Amino acid sequence: MPVTRLPASLIDRSAIFDPDLVARHDVSGPRYTSYPTAPQFRTDFGAAELRRMAHASNGDPIPRALSIYVHVPFCFSPCFYCGCNRVITRDTRRADVYLDHLAREIALTAPLFDRDREVVQLHLGGGTPNFLDARQMTALMDALRSGFALGGGDGREFGIEVDPRYADAETIRTLAELGFNRLSVGIQDFDPRVQQAVNRVQSEEQTRIVIDAAREHGFRSVSVDLILGLPRQTTERFARTLDAVLALAPDRIATYAYAHLPERFRAQRQIDATELPDAAARLALLGQCTRALGDAGYRYIGMDHFALPGDDLAVAQRAGTLHRNFQGYSTHADCDLVGLGVSSIGHVGRSFHQNARELPDYYAALDAGLLPVQRGLVLADEDLVRGDAIQRLMCHGRLDIAAFEQHHGIDFARSFPVELDRLRALADDGLVDVADDAIRVTARGRYLLRIVAMCFDAYLDAPNAASPRYSRAL
Amino acid sequence: MSIPIPLRRPIAPVREASTDTACDNPRVSKPSTIVNLRELRQSCADCALSQLCLPASIGGADLERLDDIVRQRMPLDRGGVLFREGSAHPSLFVVRSGSLKTFVSLPEGDTQILGFHIAGELVGLDGLAGNGHQCTAEALERSSLCEVPFASLSDVAAKVPGLQHQLFRVMSREFVREQQHPVMMGRKQAMSRLAIFLRSLSERLRGIGHDPLELNLSMSRQELANYLGLVIETVSRLFSRLQAQGVLAVDRRIVRILQPAALAALAEKSDDEGK
Repeated sequence: MPVTRLPASLIDRSAIFDPDLVARHDVSGPRYTSYPTAPQFRTDFGAAELRRMAHASNGDPIPRALSIYVHVPFCFSPCFYCGCNRVITRDTRRADVYLDHLAREIALTAPLFDRDREVVQLHLGGGTPNFLDARQMTALMDALRSGFALGGGDGREFGIEVDPRYADAETIRTLAELGFNRLSVGIQDFDPRVQQAVNRVQSEEQTRIVIDAAREHGFRSVSVDLILGLPRQTTERFARTLDAVLALAPDRIATYAYAHLPERFRAQRQIDATELPDAAARLALLGQCTRALGDAGYRYIGMDHFALPGDDLAVAQRAGTLHRNFQGYSTHADCDLVGLGVSSIGHVGRSFHQNARELPDYYAALDAGLLPVQRGLVLADEDLVRGDAIQRLMCHGRLDIAAFEQHHGIDFARSFPVELDRLRALADDGLVDVADDAIRVTARGRYLLRIVAMCFDAYLDAPNAASPRYSRAL
Repeated sequence: MSIPIPLRRPIAPVREASTDTACDNPRVSKPSTIVNLRELRQSCADCALSQLCLPASIGGADLERLDDIVRQRMPLDRGGVLFREGSAHPSLFVVRSGSLKTFVSLPEGDTQILGFHIAGELVGLDGLAGNGHQCTAEALERSSLCEVPFASLSDVAAKVPGLQHQLFRVMSREFVREQQHPVMMGRKQAMSRLAIFLRSLSERLRGIGHDPLELNLSMSRQELANYLGLVIETVSRLFSRLQAQGVLAVDRRIVRILQPAALAALAEKSDDEGK
C-alpha cells in the first residue's frame, strides 16, 4: 500500500539523525523512566514507608491524581528477544490465582489513598495483558473500580498492551467497554524470517484487525512497538516492514534497540548471535527508521518514541507539558503512581517502591495479608533537583537556568560544576548548546538524549554503576 | 552522591523544617540523637526572634536572668507532643522554628484544631489560669522551642523592668490572633475562610522576616479542613479554583501567592457579596 508523504515543509527537522555522532556515543545508560533508577532502590523501604508516604500525599492541599500500573506477567509463548519479567504458560487458570491476589493487593492498597483522588491514567502491561480473557479482564476492572475512583472523562489515559496473535475485534470491543482508550501493539518486525528467529510469528492481517477495531471503538491513540537489531534484519527487508507499519498509520511508534544480553535473559540464549546485525548494520537500520518515520510526518518525541503531530504526546511536547514516568512519556503531569502486581514499580510523593519480583514472593506476602512491597527509595532533595533536570531535558530538550534556579532555590553553576564540564564536552561534539541562560539539546543531540541526561546522574559515578544492566542506544 | 547542592537562598526555619520532611524519611525516621549544640546554647541575646520576644531595653544582667529561666528543649519531631490537655505544671513556650497545632478532644472522640503556631509565636497561654493546659500541642514538623516555666517567669518579670509590659504585649498579640478563628468561622463562604487563613499565615511570615508570598504548609488538608470547619474535598476544590484563577500556584505543600490583592479581596468579601 502506498504511503502518503508529507510536503517537505511539514517534515520535522527538529531532530537530525547523525550516524557518526550516534556511533561515537554508543554507551550503555539508563532510560530514565525514573531518577534515581531502579537499581538504586533499597530494601529498607517497605510497606510501612509506603503507607507513610501515601498518608502524607493525601494531606497536600491539592492531592495529586493517581496513575495505576498493573503488571500481568503471563505469556502464552516466549519471544526470544524479551527481557521482561514474565511467566510462560498456556494454563489460563493461573491467571485466576493471580487475579485473586491482585484483588487482595487492591483491597490493601486502595484505602491508602483518599477516595477523592481520581485515577486519570491506567496502564496494563506485561507480559501479555490480554492473557486475561474477557471475564478475567472484567473482574480486574471491577476490583479496580471498587477500590479507586477511575476517571470517566475523555482526558483519561487508560492504556493496554495487546498481543494481536491472541486478540480479535471482539477483544478490543470488550476493552473499550471496560474504559480503555489507548492501545499499544507489539509488532517488532513483519518479516517472516525475522519473526521465526525470535519466535513471534504475527501476520500483518492479525495486527490490522486489532488496530482497525481500536479505531472503530473510539480508542484515542494506537501505538506500535518495533525492535531494531533483531536477528536476520537487513535494511532491504526492514523497508517493507516500515511500509507496512506506516500503512497502519499508528499515532505513536516506539523503535527500541535490541540489547543482546543472553547471560541475563535466558530467552535470549535461543537467539543465534551470528545472525544478529553488526554495529554498522544496526546504525543503518536506525538511520533508515528515523528517516522513514520523519518523512511520513512523525515527530520525534525522544527516547525512541515518535508520534504524529496531532497526537496528544506531540501536542503536549509543543505546549511544554510533556512528562516522563515509568509508563514512558505521558501528558499527565504530577500523578502519584500506584504499581500493582508482581514486580510493579510505584512513585508516591517523594518515593519509589517496587513489589516482589517473583510470583512466589508476591503471593506469599499477600497470603499473609501484607502489602508485597519489597524495596524502594525516599528521594533526597538532591535526587529531586537532579531528577527534574533530567526530566526537563528528556521531555523538552532544554533546561532554562533562571527558571530552574528559581524553582529549586539553587545556584546552578555552583551546584553543578562537574555536570557543566560534562555538558561542555558534549557541546564540543555538537550534542548540546551550553549558554548562560539555558542548556539546549541540539537537533543532532535529540537522538542521544540519554547521554545528555546522564551528565546529571550522580549514581553513575558510584562503583558498580557503569553497569551492563543498561542497554545501549545502538 | 558526593556533590552537595549549595543553597543560594538562606533557608528560613519554617521552610527548612517542612521541606526537609525528615520524619518521612526512613533513613532518618528514628528520633534523631544528633543535637545541634550551637542551637541549644544559643542565648536570648542571639535569638533571631528577640525582637518579638524581649523588651527593647533589656540587656546585660537582666538578659542573663532571663536566660537562666528559659529552657531550650530538645527539638520535637513531627507528631511529637509538647503538652497534653490537663497536664499539670504548665509552661509557656515560644516556637523558635517549625510549627505546631493545638487541639482539644471532643466527646465523640474527634478533635477540634484551635490553632497553628509558627516561629515567634507563643504556645501554652491556656495554662496561665493555673488549672493545667486546656489543650494539646503537637508538632506538625520538626520544631524547636523555648520553655518558660510560669512560676519563674513571674519572679523575673517582677525584677526586670519592661519585661512585664513586653509579656502583656506579646500575650495580647496572641489573643488578637486567636480571636481571628471565631471571626473566620462566622463566615458562611468557604472561600472567605480559606482566604482569611492564607492571608493571616502570610502576614505572620512577614512578621518574622520570611517571604510572605511563599507558604510551606506543614498542616495536612485534613487538619486545615478541621480548622476551617470544611470537608477535605472542599478545601482541595478551593485551592484548585484559586490556582485556576491564577491567585495561587500550588505544588504539593508549597503554596505561592501570585495575586495578594485578589486573595485580600476574597478574604474581605462579605457573605452577601457576589454569590
